[in-house]
Amino acid sequence: MDFNFTEEQVMLRDGVARYLDRNYDFDARQGLLRSGAAWSKETWSQFAELGVLALPFPEEVGGLGGSAATLVPVAETCGEHLTVEPLAFALALAGGALVAAGDNAGARARLADLASGASVGAFAYDEGRGLAAPAQIAMAATASGDGFTLNGEKRLVFGAAQADFLVVAARAAGKAGDAAGLVLLLVDPKADGVTFTPFRTQDGRSAAHVRFDNVKVAGADVLVRDAHDVIVRLVADAILLLAAEAVGAMSALMRITGAYATTRKQFGVAIGTFQAVAHRLADMKIALARAHATLTYSTALAEAGRLTARDVSVLKAQVGKLGRAIAEAAVQTHGGVGMTDELSVGHYMKRVLAFESMFGAADYHFRMIGQAA
Amino acid sequence: MNIEFGPELESFRREVAEFLDVAPTPAIREAGKKTTSVFAPFEQVMAWHRILHAKGWAAPAWPKEYGGTGWSVEQRYIFAEECRKRELPPLLPNGLQMVGPMLIELGSEEQKRKHLPGILSGEDYWTQGYSEPNAGSDLASLQCSAVADGDDYIINGSKIWTTLAHHSNRMFMLVRTSKTGKKQEGITFLLLDRTDYPGMEIRPIIGLDGFPEQCEVFFDNVRVPQSGRVGAENDGWSVAKHLLKHERGGSAASPAMLHAIARIRETARQTPSPFGGVLADDAVFQRDLGELEADVMSCRHFEQLAISGHPLARDAAYPSVNKTMNSELSQRISIMMTRVSGIETVPQQLEALVVGSNVAPLGDDFDLIAMPYYLNTRATSIYAGSNEVQRDLIARTVLAANR
Ligand SMILES: Cc1cc2nc3c(=O)[nH]c(=O)nc-3n(C[C@H](O)[C@H](O)[C@H](O)COP(=O)(O)OP(=O)(O)OC[C@H]3O[C@@H](n4cnc5c(N)ncnc54)[C@H](O)[C@@H]3O)c2cc1C
Repeated sequence: MDFNFTEEQVMLRDGVARYLDRNYDFDARQGLLRSGAAWSKETWSQFAELGVLALPFPEEVGGLGGSAATLVPVAETCGEHLTVEPLAFALALAGGALVAAGDNAGARARLADLASGASVGAFAYDEGRGLAAPAQIAMAATASGDGFTLNGEKRLVFGAAQADFLVVAARAAGKAGDAAGLVLLLVDPKADGVTFTPFRTQDGRSAAHVRFDNVKVAGADVLVRDAHDVIVRLVADAILLLAAEAVGAMSALMRITGAYATTRKQFGVAIGTFQAVAHRLADMKIALARAHATLTYSTALAEAGRLTARDVSVLKAQVGKLGRAIAEAAVQTHGGVGMTDELSVGHYMKRVLAFESMFGAADYHFRMIGQAA
Repeated sequence: MNIEFGPELESFRREVAEFLDVAPTPAIREAGKKTTSVFAPFEQVMAWHRILHAKGWAAPAWPKEYGGTGWSVEQRYIFAEECRKRELPPLLPNGLQMVGPMLIELGSEEQKRKHLPGILSGEDYWTQGYSEPNAGSDLASLQCSAVADGDDYIINGSKIWTTLAHHSNRMFMLVRTSKTGKKQEGITFLLLDRTDYPGMEIRPIIGLDGFPEQCEVFFDNVRVPQSGRVGAENDGWSVAKHLLKHERGGSAASPAMLHAIARIRETARQTPSPFGGVLADDAVFQRDLGELEADVMSCRHFEQLAISGHPLARDAAYPSVNKTMNSELSQRISIMMTRVSGIETVPQQLEALVVGSNVAPLGDDFDLIAMPYYLNTRATSIYAGSNEVQRDLIARTVLAANR
């Protein structure tokens, strides 16, 4: 057994970290958000240059032959910097769907552009409160000719309003709850009947709710039929990368809070000398160790192609739960300043909470683990 | 023992309900629905305060001779419940629950005459100037100084976390008037009858929810009259302690919590469960909500005993027990809200949260406030004495009893 990243992965992570340290500290990030930009175009092209965007894709389509799991160390670094670029959404989800489409010509062309940084994609999946797994997708794709007509709404689609293409997960047959009957469709965001309600997320990303009113999808743009297992795999990849970002955010919270507890003085001493504070720091460290271990082990399982649904649930639930615990402890330890927008602490908190609420919250995944034994 | 609310209380409930159904303006109702912390949107909550005052109902907890309603504790409870049911904005606590009761207890006749009417009517808003950048939990180490000069004090230094100072026209504050001896013994309690004195500057701080609620306040040779002092010079710590009793003991929290539980349940009825059916019918959800509700019920029982004058509320630890219990319960409620809202908590909706913006929320009203409420509720275990400090105080009473 060896749970260390390869030399190439370490080099890539260090390259990304060097770039982000220089160009993406917390002040720069907040400045970017204030500017109204969805994300940093320079950072995205830097990712392209460093090979981040090509890494998870097969060599035949211009990729570097890795997988989402190969990107974990990079995602962790991104989490430490609270980046708002759509790494997991554009690469693991939208890109992963294109890969799953095999030799579909449209998919191939878009994949090459995605890997080079020439275009970005978005993955329209979620539908609102309560959707925790792909089988629950309800939005209708009605067969018409060799393609489909889409009607309904997708919610919280990351990067949707900026995307050059959308991949839409919809239901062609059956009812919510059925694994059978799902399709993945390629949709032009400028197509008639597609409308966006864009917004910033609590943790600084750009997303939109997307409405589809009689949107026609040609047969050539059907990426995957009977897509349930593919979607499950894409979501697992996204969870892996988002968990890595969350763990990066948790490491940052640990570091920042530890430093604060040694410098902030009350009653003439550093607050870290109060046992109530010291034990909370200890609990944070225990939580971080658990989350880090589960992330690293899950990554190794994914690289070996052995990450089961149960393993994904363990990762999602644990990082969600432990992330919340660490974030709440960090804010509490900071006292009043922890409640301000000015400090990074609250922004890290929002990042881990957003992770917890997506793709099924901890409560859901704990039950899946309990049922699957 | 007698736990009945007699029939006359039911007619009182109807009288309250009839008024509350018609008196609040649409903007006030909107502000109630968009309240995401203990501090409701300022302009509308003050408008509501003035409406209640005109009816004579602004200060149910005050003695009748000072403008209170003369209601029994049961009537006050019913009033609080009916207000929460309608999601009306809770009146701001600083004047009615903090300075007002303190002045009634300790203020001079002149101070009472001067300040109580404005507190009661909602003409004045009082901000609390205690904390400083280096004096939070260790409040007694505060440095902001007041030096006597003729009939005045000259204030220098700064305050922080002063809630709604940017909307206030009055401030009650603690200043250092002596640097010798114990630090608690060199503190004086002052009432400022303006917050726009020359040399005073107020800068809002943006909170986690994206809105300004707390402020920093800077004093550069600010000259204020000594007539604003409550109690003797250097005796401000004991005045502050009296006031803290009101801040921590405070009013009944359970009507708001029970209302929140009802909202959670109602929203869960419209939320699909990933295990089929709706969330409200999901056994695990029911268990978790049930535990939370049971804890809120214990809080309610504790409150009811306390307002009846039960010895439980005369325990030295009572205000700390109450504060710790309530803050942690509201935090758990806020987590439950975000659990039900799920991904609908993720969009940031600053504009839709502003009263009168006419920007429709992206989800429903519940989704709109779940995350801001969660974020703001983190502060309840920090302010009014952090829960770590409260636990120290509670532990001290346990240990002292066994010494
Ligand atoms: C939303 C909000 C509103 C507020 N409104 C007002 C207001 O209107 N007016 C006003 O004057 N103040 C106000 N405050 C300030 C509040 O009272 C202080 O934040 C609080 O006293 C804590 O002080 P601090 O922020 O400096 O944290 P610190 O005292 O620095 O505490 C940091 C951490 O150390 C812990 N700690 C400190 N001492 C001990 C100890 N002895 N043992 C164990 N743990 C300890 C704390 O519990 C906390 O976790 C407000 C604060 C907030 C967050």
